[in-house]
Amino acid sequence: MFFVDSVMMGWRWLVRMRTALMLLGVLGFMTAVATAVPQAPNVPATVDAWLAGDEGPGVAVATVLATIGAFDVYGSPAFVALLLALYLSLTACLIPRIRAWVRLVRHSRPPLLRHAPSEAPRRIVTDRSPGDVLAAADQVLDRRHWRTRRSDDGHFDGPANGQLDAQSDAQSDGQAVEPATAPMQVAAEKGHWSREGGSLVFHVSFYVLLAAIVFGQLLTFEGQRGVIEGAPGFADTEVSYWTYRPGRWFGPEDHAGWRLDLEQFHVDWIRDPHAPGAGQPTTFRSDVLITPVDGEPFLADVAGNRPLVIDGVKIHQLDWGYAPWIEIEVDGDVVHAGFLTTVVDDEGVFTGAVKAPAADPDVGLEIEIFPYAPDGDDGLPRLTGAPWDEAPLLIFHQWRGDLQLGATQQLITELDTERMDLVGWGFMRPGQDVELENVTVRFVELRRWVGFQVSYRPQIPWLLLASALLVGGLVPALYAYRRRLWVTVRSDGDSRRTLIEVSGRAFQRQEIFEAERDEIVEELASIVGDQPDGSPDPAGAPASEESR
Amino acid sequence: MTQQDLAAISRVLYAPVTIGLYFTAAFVYLYALTTTVGRARDLRRGRLARRVAAAATIAGLTTHVAHEFARGFAQDRLPLGNMFEVTSMMALVGVAVGVGYLTFARRRSDLNGFVLLAGALVLGFAGFMYAEPGPLMPILDTWWRPFHVSLLVSAMGIFTAAFVFHALYLLRDSGDRANPSDDAPGSDDPPHEPLAPGLGGSLADRVDGRDDTLDVAAGATATADAVDTDGALRVDSDVALKAVSAHHAAVRRQVSVWRLVVGTFAGAASVSWVFIVSADSSAAGWGRFMTINLALVAAALVAWWFTPYLPSGATLEGLAHRTIAFAFILWTVGTIAGAMWAEQSWGRFWGWDPKETGALLTWIAYAGYLHARATRGVRGRPAAWIGIAAFVILMGTYLIANYVIVGLHSYAGL
Ligand code: HEM
Repeated sequence: MFFVDSVMMGWRWLVRMRTALMLLGVLGFMTAVATAVPQAPNVPATVDAWLAGDEGPGVAVATVLATIGAFDVYGSPAFVALLLALYLSLTACLIPRIRAWVRLVRHSRPPLLRHAPSEAPRRIVTDRSPGDVLAAADQVLDRRHWRTRRSDDGHFDGPANGQLDAQSDAQSDGQAVEPATAPMQVAAEKGHWSREGGSLVFHVSFYVLLAAIVFGQLLTFEGQRGVIEGAPGFADTEVSYWTYRPGRWFGPEDHAGWRLDLEQFHVDWIRDPHAPGAGQPTTFRSDVLITPVDGEPFLADVAGNRPLVIDGVKIHQLDWGYAPWIEIEVDGDVVHAGFLTTVVDDEGVFTGAVKAPAADPDVGLEIEIFPYAPDGDDGLPRLTGAPWDEAPLLIFHQWRGDLQLGATQQLITELDTERMDLVGWGFMRPGQDVELENVTVRFVELRRWVGFQVSYRPQIPWLLLASALLVGGLVPALYAYRRRLWVTVRSDGDSRRTLIEVSGRAFQRQEIFEAERDEIVEELASIVGDQPDGSPDPAGAPASEESR
Repeated sequence: MTQQDLAAISRVLYAPVTIGLYFTAAFVYLYALTTTVGRARDLRRGRLARRVAAAATIAGLTTHVAHEFARGFAQDRLPLGNMFEVTSMMALVGVAVGVGYLTFARRRSDLNGFVLLAGALVLGFAGFMYAEPGPLMPILDTWWRPFHVSLLVSAMGIFTAAFVFHALYLLRDSGDRANPSDDAPGSDDPPHEPLAPGLGGSLADRVDGRDDTLDVAAGATATADAVDTDGALRVDSDVALKAVSAHHAAVRRQVSVWRLVVGTFAGAASVSWVFIVSADSSAAGWGRFMTINLALVAAALVAWWFTPYLPSGATLEGLAHRTIAFAFILWTVGTIAGAMWAEQSWGRFWGWDPKETGALLTWIAYAGYLHARATRGVRGRPAAWIGIAAFVILMGTYLIANYVIVGLHSYAGL
């Protein structure tokens, strides 16, 4: 029993609006932490720098942050727990709301007024019979998509009204209405189910969103690979990517197997140092040749904002750099020959490392490419930070010793020089070579390489669906408003004319309701004949003959 | 005309022309607010002032739009590519939508002065981020960008107007404590008790319709002699005018000026510290920090002085809610568009980049406000404070993500 009781209590706690508010507050707080503290899945280097004390608030604070999982907020158990609580609360909230909403849509009928309206309503006087007026009012409201109910339709039992408005001043809820005291009327309501329905669609979209994200994580695939201009590219297979991140349910057989070769890469900048935006890139585009497994090869281009899409797989151009062909000869033997993919640093220098374990002892080169280093007056190259390759210069530092490949964790772009000695350094232009202590380094040619990202994201249509539901629900949830209107009629015994009174109230957005009510009154008046009360027209003016 | 000429024109249109017009319009509107109760002569002046202020507003909006066009043509692209341009556009949308909504949808153009004051300040602060016109990095150059950015910038401008309404609501709600006829603070619908004794039934109705109980609140012995068509209240007797200004003073006394000053300074500082961190020299940074904080404190004091002239709390709270509802939808669509652009440009739709996280945080904060407003016991003042906190979060994430943390999104680096 205790168990059942606590579950019930927990459920009741979850259903409360304050709980949802509190959980949203916690979600906001966690997001704030993730904004302020670098996130490991995003910027691992910055996180390392914080932990090492090179950056950020210091080692002590960083250690505390690491302990509480602040460097990976969205991967932390606390976040998963919060998400769980939020979705439980959402579910607890939505179940009764959906039930009430269905009841509302199916059964709700606008309540009838028991007495003639007391607050100053709009009035119309007409010669039409009360029955005519009610029919006209019904028609007007119907055309405007109000849900209507007439006092003369024979159902005077209390309406099975939804529990939406505790504030309802129509005293008919759940009680029998006395036909004798109730005026003849058309009662109408609008916005009751669209507002709440919108809100429900909005909240339900979060389940679609969650499902899309979870299944997306399982089914997705993302890989990156650099390709050198004019050199053989790569095939879409498990082994050819430099970084490879498949979802748990993405297998090797899911690759399409096409080949990609980079024919040419176009990049340019604003070269005039005095022009506004000097140095900014202006062009960034790859011409690629795609060879499907069974099909004709075709040319396509990939640009900054224009990925190439092949069978639902997107190919993006992510980064690029210069790729020098470097050969190393030791005592007449070529121990290394190949393109090196260099990466640009903050100063505009393209750097990389060559590792040649085939030599004995190992040779390692640290490479820097200065794309534009024209000769100065003294015949020596002048280094600039400009990125265009009009006067490329390669500077290298040569190390010998033990590269410790496989022994230590290292980046392909950096040498581990722990067990190596610096032999010397040199510089050269394409086609030149430099010999240092029996090691000849040759800079054969300079090309460019492009880093492509290949991604498969089957969740995207579902995310779009969730977004559409979210926005589509939000608009009525915030813009529809619940309102009620009563058109009551009374015969004036003496003049044998009919007095029409229009009253109503809105639960939200009172300010636009009044204009709407006035419009309805105008329309009704134009049908049944007379001007609304308060106009200069004398009350006894003849009714117009217009009829519908 | 060369592009240099256009750049020079856009600079002049920005400052002093548009900023000057906004400030002028703001202060003339505020002056007009003080003429809603007074002698016939004051009322006449008020009508004139409202006309002048409306003209200055239209002129200011026109020069602001002209500035954006000149800047756009000077660099052959939409002027939404850096912090200055985004902030300036935010002020433009805030003023245009705020004033347009107040004037045409709500018939409350008397409040335009506050929105214009906020717009003038935001536009002035944009000067701290000024950058000369220039081209855009190609990665930013796609139609997704104007779509995504203009939605978010519009939402920012409208959230700014909502912030003004919330601040005024809190002031007025505090001021209401001087008004014995009002019930608990934050109630949705303060009942309008009989106004000053001596106001006839139909007259009271008219004043009621003006939605303002404070001017001639209970206790004041004012005798209104007539009510203008625009709702202004003519009062001729010295005794009555004295009673009115005594009542105004009583309303102002309900707000603790020191708490207002310290709170505004602290609230502004919680965002403007970014300028200290990001400026080239610490003197410039502190200068900006103090300028922003003190300008906002001054604006808060102006608003405080005008508390007695404000409409009812329910009206102000309603204005804040409607503007937030609208901006929230824009923010939602804009954030989704941003994810679509990121998928297009960078091959991932969401990467928890600081700007993305900031947009989400702002969204959660405003969702929190909407929930609070729908929660019994939280609506009213607490909900308004959440709305104000949400605006602080909006401005904070905007500045931090651009100036402090360099991510993929920041205009600073690519
Ligand atoms: C997943 C996080 C949630 C978000 C982002 C969210 C967002 C929103 C938003 C923006 C609205 C405003 C729409 C309107 O005013 O009608 C709203 C309304 C509402 N939400 Fe949520 N919600 C969330 C979770 C919840 C939960 C867990 C509950 C249940 C306790 C809940 C209950 C409600 C209710 C009752 C309304 C209607 C308020 C009204 O009628 O004005 N929400 N929600």
